[in-house]
Amino acid sequence: MKAFIAFTKKEFTESLRTYRLIVLAAVFLLLGLMSPLTAKLLPEIMGSIDLGDGVFITMPEASAMSSWEQFFGYIGQMGMLALIITFGGLMANELSRGTLINLLTKGMKRQTVILSKFLTASVLWAGSYALSLAVCYAYTAFFWPGGVLSNAFLAFFSLWLFGEFLIALLIFGGVLFGNFYGSLLGCFGVIIILSTLNLFPALSKFNPSSLAAQTLNLLSAQKEAADYLPAFIICAAAAALLVAAAIAVFNKRRV
Amino acid sequence: MNTLSVKNLSKSFGVNKVIDGISFDVPEGSVFGFIGANGAGKTTTMKMILGLLPADGGEIFVRGERVCFGATETNRHIGYLPDVPEFYGYMKPKEYLLLCGEVAGLAASETARRSIRLLEMVGLSNANKKIGAFSRGMKQRLGVAQALLNEPKLLICDEPTSALDPMGRKEVLDILKQIKGKTTVVFSTHILSDVERVCDRVAVLSGGRIALCGTLSELRARHKADSVLIEFASQANKARFTADAGALLKNAVSADLELTLHVADIANAHREILRVLYANEIMPLKLEILEPTMESLYLEVAK
Repeated sequence: MKAFIAFTKKEFTESLRTYRLIVLAAVFLLLGLMSPLTAKLLPEIMGSIDLGDGVFITMPEASAMSSWEQFFGYIGQMGMLALIITFGGLMANELSRGTLINLLTKGMKRQTVILSKFLTASVLWAGSYALSLAVCYAYTAFFWPGGVLSNAFLAFFSLWLFGEFLIALLIFGGVLFGNFYGSLLGCFGVIIILSTLNLFPALSKFNPSSLAAQTLNLLSAQKEAADYLPAFIICAAAAALLVAAAIAVFNKRRV
Repeated sequence: MNTLSVKNLSKSFGVNKVIDGISFDVPEGSVFGFIGANGAGKTTTMKMILGLLPADGGEIFVRGERVCFGATETNRHIGYLPDVPEFYGYMKPKEYLLLCGEVAGLAASETARRSIRLLEMVGLSNANKKIGAFSRGMKQRLGVAQALLNEPKLLICDEPTSALDPMGRKEVLDILKQIKGKTTVVFSTHILSDVERVCDRVAVLSGGRIALCGTLSELRARHKADSVLIEFASQANKARFTADAGALLKNAVSADLELTLHVADIANAHREILRVLYANEIMPLKLEILEPTMESLYLEVAK
């Protein structure tokens, strides 16, 4: 336990001093700000463009829902990309540089490394995401007061859960390949496969990537929580399995 | 008691058999030199002792406890200095040692006390900058400090001096000399003069096997002296000597004013040399029976 606390402390210090924390928080803050602003300004910008002969594009009036639409679009794509790039080297860099050898030969258990890294990354991700969400929520309420969101907790939670899945995937890839690019490629590979599977509507109910792309439908009450329940369970189970697999592989890996 | 015991250890990478059934013991308190060419398997052996690599066959015991790959209980007895120690560049030396102490389960106050002493010993007391800005020699010395932090019974150093300049080498060797007696040291190297400076026991690894193993004095005695070096004051003296020396010159090596004679019976040869010198009234600058050096022993077994 003592080693776990010490290593976790080191992880947070590292995130702070290598600017990982600041970059992640800044990116998510920006995405949170941009969502309501884009929703508000896009119809006005588009409406002001004269296509010639007095033809204008008319967009439906912006609403709170268009702000959340932007939010899910930004976080689900750019946010996840930022997450992947920030945490791609989390495990991989330690292995490729050999910085763990001094600590492991002092008797630190290998699972401590994985669990501690997963915890730190989860906290950073949750914090940045909460920041983004809070900012977007405040601005959305300011521009379009009085709106009601259905299934809000579940919709926002699902995006967070998908982020957890990616973190577990990155750590597993890092342990497996031992370098930054392997970890990154592995993660992108899985995302591409999952996105391809999403082309089949019948599968989307079970597909973790629905949690990042489609749970907006929960907010607008077009879908119900039960529609995504299998995807929730599969995503959470997959994340847990990946962490367990990362520990198992790391225990048998030469360092 | 043996601090480290390696029994019949073997390891292959693919079809390449790197370690082929080696056995050796390291008694408590000794400084053990592990010698071999680049790629001979020194690092592989050390990593197996630390449980960082699985062995294909054989057993390793540290203070009587068996080493298992992966979760390595025996590492609590061991301090390890990798060939190129890597640190977190954003930390300062004291912070890094504090992390090491916490990981090893030491109390913070104890870690702080030991850190001050160790940093002083390795000459980094005043290096209060981030490790990222350290030179290679400084990193190596910090590596020694972190390896000694948990006061290990066994210190394993992987080529601690090979990448350092002469000053850095001397400093690291001096540190090893300082801890001699308190801690058992195993260190690998291919610099033979380092071995002669600090080791009392050696093993030479060649072709995946132990080609030579024992204390330095044992090895010297076993490969007994059979060479005599004579240095002459002038070429004329040397010429007069060679004209009269006869059978002595059978395996002689001549260089400038020196003559090295390789003989079968050193006592007889010595008598004969003195006779020739006396008879020809030659006063040599130097007459020396050559001790077998680590280099000659090494070259003999690593052929």
